[in-house]
Amino acid sequence: MAYSDKVIDHYENPRNVGKMDAEDPNVGTGMVGAPACGDVMRLQIKVSDDGVIEDAKFKTYGCGSAIASSSLATEWMKGKTLDEAESIKNTELAEELALPPVKIHCSVLAEDAIKAAVRDYKQKKGLL
Amino acid sequence: MSTCHFALFDLQPAFAIDLDQLAVRYRELARETHPDRFADAAPREQRQALERAAQLNDAYQTLKSPSRRALYLLALRGEHLPLEATVQDPEFLLQQMMLREELEELQDSADLAGVAVFKRRLKAAQAELEQGFAACWDRPAEREQAERLMRRMQFLDKLALEVRELEERLDD
Repeated sequence: MAYSDKVIDHYENPRNVGKMDAEDPNVGTGMVGAPACGDVMRLQIKVSDDGVIEDAKFKTYGCGSAIASSSLATEWMKGKTLDEAESIKNTELAEELALPPVKIHCSVLAEDAIKAAVRDYKQKKGLL
Repeated sequence: MSTCHFALFDLQPAFAIDLDQLAVRYRELARETHPDRFADAAPREQRQALERAAQLNDAYQTLKSPSRRALYLLALRGEHLPLEATVQDPEFLLQQMMLREELEELQDSADLAGVAVFKRRLKAAQAELEQGFAACWDRPAEREQAERLMRRMQFLDKLALEVRELEERLDD
């Protein structure tokens, strides 16, 4: 199956690959997986005191579409408030990356990772 | 609805099955249903023979693989378990992440002996999951646990595939 140029770009030059200290009170970590393809995705955010995501990192073991979806997600999250980040939809990621129907679940995984990271941060801060 | 995969091999639905016996029975059935035997038959019969051969092959591949057998057993009980659905199983996923990182390091250092050790650990982890599943899949009260173990098996399958691919690359 052919990947779109955008997927290839994110796959070859992934943005924001890395790891943050999960114990840091200002860091939220989302860890999700998809049994169908065995993909594992970790997405982390660092949130400023005024509730803005100042940094985002990810590490994904999976196919090109899963890597591109999480790479794009970290790009989009930076500079956003938690609410704005939480409203990022998998359909927007899939559209931007021109994912074929069989790879839509990769973008769903990225959306779920965003939500899991925000939830983890909110839990730490006693906001949930 | 086609015949249950287990019934095709004269087996009762169970997780613990005799794989050698399964393979023997598969070869017998494959001979009986081989489409070549229907080369002179009417087109309708030829088509049916092809369908039977395909079903037999699908059944064999499903039952042979522990993770696919586990999924099939749960599906036989009428549970629809889409594997595309996101899993949030933090402790297990964290461990998976660490194992993938470890495998990446073994790749970078081209450490074949290390890969062999990794593979043994993976096999042990798979065996443990399979034992856990065998002990709970048919107990309604432990349905959630059985589903969780089945999903974990899929991740370890993927990891095993990556180990095999790495071995091939390092062998070259």
